[in-house]
Amino acid sequence: MGYRPAMTHAQIAILDSGPVVESSSLPELLGWTLKPEGLCRDERCVIVPDRSALESNGSVDLREVAALLDRPVAVDDVAGLVAVGAERWQRRDALHDLRAPDFRLPDLDGTFHALSDHRSKKRLLVAFSSW
Amino acid sequence: MAIDEAVDTIRTYIDNDTDGISYPVLIDADHLLTELYAISNVPSVLLIDGDDTIVQPNWNAYATDTFTEFHGIDSSAQLDAIRRWVLDGETMMAPDEVRDAVDDLSDDEEQARLHFRLATHLRNRGDEDGSERNFERACRLAPYDFTIRRASMPLRGGNPFGDEFFELVAEYVEAGAPYHGVQHSGRRA
Repeated sequence: MGYRPAMTHAQIAILDSGPVVESSSLPELLGWTLKPEGLCRDERCVIVPDRSALESNGSVDLREVAALLDRPVAVDDVAGLVAVGAERWQRRDALHDLRAPDFRLPDLDGTFHALSDHRSKKRLLVAFSSW
Repeated sequence: MAIDEAVDTIRTYIDNDTDGISYPVLIDADHLLTELYAISNVPSVLLIDGDDTIVQPNWNAYATDTFTEFHGIDSSAQLDAIRRWVLDGETMMAPDEVRDAVDDLSDDEEQARLHFRLATHLRNRGDEDGSERNFERACRLAPYDFTIRRASMPLRGGNPFGDEFFELVAEYVEAGAPYHGVQHSGRRA
């Protein structure tokens, strides 16, 4: 199909060439694999209520997959680009259960750091900018 | 965590810091944290305990008084509160207050973050029309969110410290200063 991930990230993805992709690309694109038991990542699986509605000819609509994973989607039809957001439960964890969602971001040298690298310590996060 | 893609500018901040920096400075070019933590402006400070509990959410706090004339915030009281938390474990808000301080993102605000992401992505590949289309959409969906509107200004050839910033502030105040977090010294917006 000639699509490729324009950018992948542990939790977000922006994808080329529209919302229909080959099922086999899901692990690379979103970190989830379509298996007989459902959509799975590591030990966790999300039940797929109607497999035949989700997948046809080895392809899936990313909007349907994202809906099952409770991830928001925005599509730019003109550019053929899709943005898939983070799983909403992570923000709900933060706002309702006051559990800080983990994240991984690069420093200025490109080395990735995770919030969980500093678990068991008090952490002060500052969101700042040049704008 | 720089909610920013201007890596070179961020680097100058660090190079110019004469005290030296002993903590990680991370680049969040895709604004992942504005989605995960419902952050809508900078600076936003969060305090997180060792067991991952958020004890102070999205706090409009400052380390210096550089902009005190503009926002009226005294940074020294905020720094003292942070010291009391670090040294004595004293928190500024009860858990229920923390819970009430940050509203969830609306569907529009969530979509605005994705369109902002599409816009910066298209801009980086040289698709100016596509970029502008998505910036315009993001700003329409979240007109009072500074991580959308103000952050987009330098990426659209504007000035985030110019007239358009002050126009945004006026619109924001007129709209009742909607903010996902704790404004000033502990009071909610």
